[in-house]
Amino acid sequence: MKKDLMNILCCPKCKGKLGLDVTKEENDEVIEGALTCNACDITYPIQDSIPNLLPQTK
Amino acid sequence: MTMDNTEAKKEVRKAYGLIAKEAKPCCGPAKTCCGNSVDPAVRISKNIGYDDEDIGAVPDGANLGLGCGNPIAFAELQPGETVLDLGSGAGFDCFLASKVVGENGSVIGVDMTPEMLEKARSAAQNEGYDNVEFRMGEIENLPVANDTADVVISNCVINLVPDKLRAFTEAYRALKPGGRLMVSDIVLEKELPDYLRQSVSAYVGCISGAVLKHVYLDIIRSVGFRDVEVLEESHFSIESMLNDPSAKAVIEKTKVTPEQAEMALAPVLSMRVRGVKGNGD
Repeated sequence: MKKDLMNILCCPKCKGKLGLDVTKEENDEVIEGALTCNACDITYPIQDSIPNLLPQTK
Repeated sequence: MTMDNTEAKKEVRKAYGLIAKEAKPCCGPAKTCCGNSVDPAVRISKNIGYDDEDIGAVPDGANLGLGCGNPIAFAELQPGETVLDLGSGAGFDCFLASKVVGENGSVIGVDMTPEMLEKARSAAQNEGYDNVEFRMGEIENLPVANDTADVVISNCVINLVPDKLRAFTEAYRALKPGGRLMVSDIVLEKELPDYLRQSVSAYVGCISGAVLKHVYLDIIRSVGFRDVEVLEESHFSIESMLNDPSAKAVIEKTKVTPEQAEMALAPVLSMRVRGVKGNGD
């Protein structure tokens, strides 16, 4: 997932902004990490560069 | 047997996960050409409106022959645009769109099947498609911010989505004002017989999740799209239906004759439809 495409991402549930935590990156691309929605208190994992933004409940 | 929405989604994920692994086409085209050794995915893609250049232009394995029309051909994409593909599968339409929007544009594919996403991502990586990104997500709960896409495309997927109203509401939300919707899908001219509608196999074969054409168009209009227009439509042929493994399984299971099946499936249409999000919305 490219960092510069963060601005078009949102939480699938509340559509609010997501915070990004990077665990592993290569050339501005996030390979492993997490996206967090503070409003919903839900963390969405990024694995193999693909964010898993399937709706989830806490 | 009837399915609730969660069960339906689970069946769709399972079936398309298997297809991603086996690379076996499912939703059939309008006509078939028997007796040749052409890859069925290539044959299907040609029948539904892709040319040789399109098919050759994408990474190997990205074209699984699962579409029912070529939304890119009608989308009038421009360099620099942001394209959102709902149900991007192995990435075929994303890779085609990527070439048109170029390095200043971007293409986002959303799919809920991990096996498909993995295939699409490794193809993007191996072939250097820098402007294509994939996200695991649901069409009814798009992880895409408001007013961000110039174009939303989708190819033979929304028929599989249990809540179509919500799917189109989400597409509308994600589009910029003035943004375009371009969808290829399966619809019905009249209701299917119960034995087909209630079958899980028919559902994942894109048949029994389909709704009536006027209902489909009404849903698109009801969420706010303007200038909603059917650009092209064609009937599915019984030949291609009978070559479709899931349709075949339904026919065997329900013990109908091919003639009965032909009559039952006659109302199945493949359609290309366009809509626009108004500027003042």
